[in-house]
Amino acid sequence: MAKKSMFDMTPVKGYEKKLEDFFPMERRCSNCLGCKFVPFEKIKSNRFGRNCPSVWHYNFNLYSARGRFQLGQNILEDGSVRFEGQALDAIFNCQACGACDVGCKVTRFNLEPLAHNIALKERAVEKGKAPDALNAVAAQLAKQKTMLPGAKKADRGAWASGLKLKDISVGKETAEYAFFPGCQYAYDKDLQKKAKSYVSVLKKAGVDLGWFGKGDMCCGGRAGQMGFRKEFEAQAQANAVVWKKAGAPKIVTPCSDCYYALKRQYAMLGIEVEVVHAVELIAELIKSGKLKLKKAVDLSITYHDPCRLGRLGEPFEPWDGTEKKILNQVHTWTPARPRYAGTYGIYDAPRDVLAAIPGLRLVEMERVRENSWCCGAGGGCSVFNPEFSDAVASERVTEAQATGAEAIVTACPWCEKNLSGVTSENGTAMPVVDVIDLVAKAL
Amino acid sequence: MKNITYNKDFYRALQDIVGERNVSEDPAVTENYRCITAQSSAHYGPYDTRTPKPQAVVLPGSTEEVQQIVRLCNKYKVDFKAASTFWAAMGFIGSDNAIQLDMIRMDNVEIDAKNMIAVCEPFAIGGTVQVEAMKNGLNCNIAGVGCSSSTLAGSAGWVGFGPSSIFMGIASENLLGAEWVLPDGEIIRTGTLGSDGEWFCGEGPGPSPRAIFRGWTGTAGTMGVCTRIAIRLHPWPGPKWIPVRGTAPAYFADGLDNVRAYTVCYPDWDAYAESFRLFYEADICYLAHRQFNMFGRDIKTAMVEIFTHPEKQFCDLPELMEDPYIKEQNEQMKVDVQIVLAGFTERDLDYKEKAFDEILRQVGAHKSEYYLQQDIEDFVKLYLLRLARKNYNYTLCSSYEGNFGLSPNVFVAAPLMEEAAALKREWEQTHTGVAAVGGDSDMGSVSGIGGGGTTGWEFFVHFDGFDKESIYDSCAHIDRTQEWMTEKGLGADFGRWNADVRQPNGYNYTQEQHDSFYSKIPQPALAEYQWKIREAFNPNRLTGSYYKTLTPKEFRDGDNK
Repeated sequence: MAKKSMFDMTPVKGYEKKLEDFFPMERRCSNCLGCKFVPFEKIKSNRFGRNCPSVWHYNFNLYSARGRFQLGQNILEDGSVRFEGQALDAIFNCQACGACDVGCKVTRFNLEPLAHNIALKERAVEKGKAPDALNAVAAQLAKQKTMLPGAKKADRGAWASGLKLKDISVGKETAEYAFFPGCQYAYDKDLQKKAKSYVSVLKKAGVDLGWFGKGDMCCGGRAGQMGFRKEFEAQAQANAVVWKKAGAPKIVTPCSDCYYALKRQYAMLGIEVEVVHAVELIAELIKSGKLKLKKAVDLSITYHDPCRLGRLGEPFEPWDGTEKKILNQVHTWTPARPRYAGTYGIYDAPRDVLAAIPGLRLVEMERVRENSWCCGAGGGCSVFNPEFSDAVASERVTEAQATGAEAIVTACPWCEKNLSGVTSENGTAMPVVDVIDLVAKAL
Repeated sequence: MKNITYNKDFYRALQDIVGERNVSEDPAVTENYRCITAQSSAHYGPYDTRTPKPQAVVLPGSTEEVQQIVRLCNKYKVDFKAASTFWAAMGFIGSDNAIQLDMIRMDNVEIDAKNMIAVCEPFAIGGTVQVEAMKNGLNCNIAGVGCSSSTLAGSAGWVGFGPSSIFMGIASENLLGAEWVLPDGEIIRTGTLGSDGEWFCGEGPGPSPRAIFRGWTGTAGTMGVCTRIAIRLHPWPGPKWIPVRGTAPAYFADGLDNVRAYTVCYPDWDAYAESFRLFYEADICYLAHRQFNMFGRDIKTAMVEIFTHPEKQFCDLPELMEDPYIKEQNEQMKVDVQIVLAGFTERDLDYKEKAFDEILRQVGAHKSEYYLQQDIEDFVKLYLLRLARKNYNYTLCSSYEGNFGLSPNVFVAAPLMEEAAALKREWEQTHTGVAAVGGDSDMGSVSGIGGGGTTGWEFFVHFDGFDKESIYDSCAHIDRTQEWMTEKGLGADFGRWNADVRQPNGYNYTQEQHDSFYSKIPQPALAEYQWKIREAFNPNRLTGSYYKTLTPKEFRDGDNK
């Protein structure tokens, strides 16, 4: 296959999959409960053994990946179920966190529950059946280039005032890295301070950093996760145009949602961009001695793996092969098809940064790394169904409190916002901080 | 004939019992509780049909709610069935006038470490019961179905033997009592629980209907709803949690120095059977199972290679199968079994190792070198101790069915193994519907009862649940093996165990149909006795046709409605 350009924009094989293409895997699901529990040998307690927020909260099988496979069959086979009522409720009350995908792929080689769930969302959107709240988010993206309700495009750059970041979008200046803050860091008043902190730390360590100035926009990834494929594609293409004009720099983002969008969702579209999460870069800077953390931070913390930095943050591998049966009935992909089981997500970099902070004590939760419990914000759920989203966050705070830690640390603004202020089952909240908050204290 | 009386009043009453969010009659929900029988090992045949759609699905959160639901069903004459992990078709309803109880909200586990007891609700799965037990230096028998299935369902409703049964016994042996909502809504607490509120004995001095409730196979959910059980726990000499190393999906147990896993290679089936006798006698095994042969004699080592190397996939199978080293391993392991020894002290482990070696010497067997590799041994330890990867049953082709079911005394079953294997091999070569894996795909427990004595074997028939030809061909294969089983006087093929309790179209059998079956069995009085039991406990016959009954002769020609 001829090498494509960085911004070829030709979707890779598999991207164009429609709901009908998933029918074989809907039939091949074996109802093993891998999409309801943490991989069984990794379960550490009955209390924290579950993996899917949706079926954990709603309990009906319909709200599990297994249930959605069955739902897909009902829709495709005989129309016994339509896009209405609890079918729609189950389709959209999914954070697209990918925990079911990991649970499934521990044993199965030819099922893709996450992609299937998104295909269901896409079909519902095509039929005009998306919830009003999500339609509004998609409209906001098209108009204001952000999915945050009420935010204006004109206000997007406020976070960067006073930072003297190079604007590389106009082609006059260049930088090795472009800082891509993401909407939360760009608009939220509290989070803006953290974005500034990231920039300051990176610059202090000598990183050649710029940003896209007025060309800075939403990544659009969340629209794709909500089933708004066209809106996502349009936004990705708009970004690609800006980045190309800026000389296709490496992108560093502190937002795990953006990270996943650029690393995996854009790659599926044929947009190959080199992206690192800011904690990865900071970990490298610490390792190379360019960043030294000297001050002690006397705190006991637990680290929450964001879904889109962790299990969904694996490198994208293009695949162009075929399926065939061997030994009569053994279904195979030739050559071997990438099997995203969460193994190669970004887990060590944030922990390495935290380990480099003197005095800081990390106590792990039961569900970590590829089996991390979602914060609840994904897939548009925090906008569409805050009650559900908060319940999922509360479950995570409960788990964090069980470690005895004093604070939760994370590397995603969506997680930070969703976990902050939410009370556990004991009725108490926990401080939630960003990795950069602790790095800044330790400098 | 029962009245068809599911209606809106009934639904509103359900809402009053469990709250609106815990009951639904939305078709998206109710369609979700239909079992596509081809997808799951139902032990009654891989038909390309679904069980009937329930009128409503309800999620009870307590025994009291279950009781109210059951009483409501009796009032309205609506069938019901409760299930929790829904492994097989037996958990699903079998009539149009029925509701499904999904017990997912009841998932509590309580460990009484001092008395070595676990009290489990229906959605407590083997995997969670086990981790809670291990924190206390204890362990539980996990049935061969795997740790993803409900401990309660296996213990109260089905057979329940597995790799650990040789040391820990089978489900019926471990059941210490139950809280049981009878089919008419009465709550019975069996054994000591019904007397002084403690769980330590299932037989008494409180009421002891355990034989009715449990028997050998269990009642498959046809005698009301079991809402809590207690099971006996057993000593576990390992850590509070088994450390896991490796990257998904290739996981390995780490640091279990006082646990050893071996694969034994035998010269023939006679040696195999004799070693089982000696294992039973010596009482040294913590786990004993013929496990990885389930993939088939020709591919089992290649499959273990794939599972232990995350970069490998099924497209690597042909190359792996041609690898001379792999072929040699398969040849050596034609007749094999996996054994796990666990030492409670260093001396204990030393003794067990010596006894184990002596047994192998006596029968002329040896340890597989392949399985002595550290990673492979640690993979086997994790696999068998946690039974976490039972979904590997489905991995090869997406569906499987157990057939033959050679579960009697090992000296009866072992001599038949090659003949059974040849029959399957011939089918693989002349039909394309089942996976061609080398004939012998026998697997199962060395011990079908605590301490040994019987086996629990089945041949796995791997087929594609998406491919109709594959579904029908695998079904035809089981018909053929049933003929063979009948010729040999071995009874029902595993794949036909439940053929008489649910129709091929997914519906219950009627009493008249059951009467026509069971009047012809060698001991019809047995099924007549069960009829009387069923009439006493389940007068409205509301929980399906898995309970095998024959209308007594005195009623058969008269009013048996």
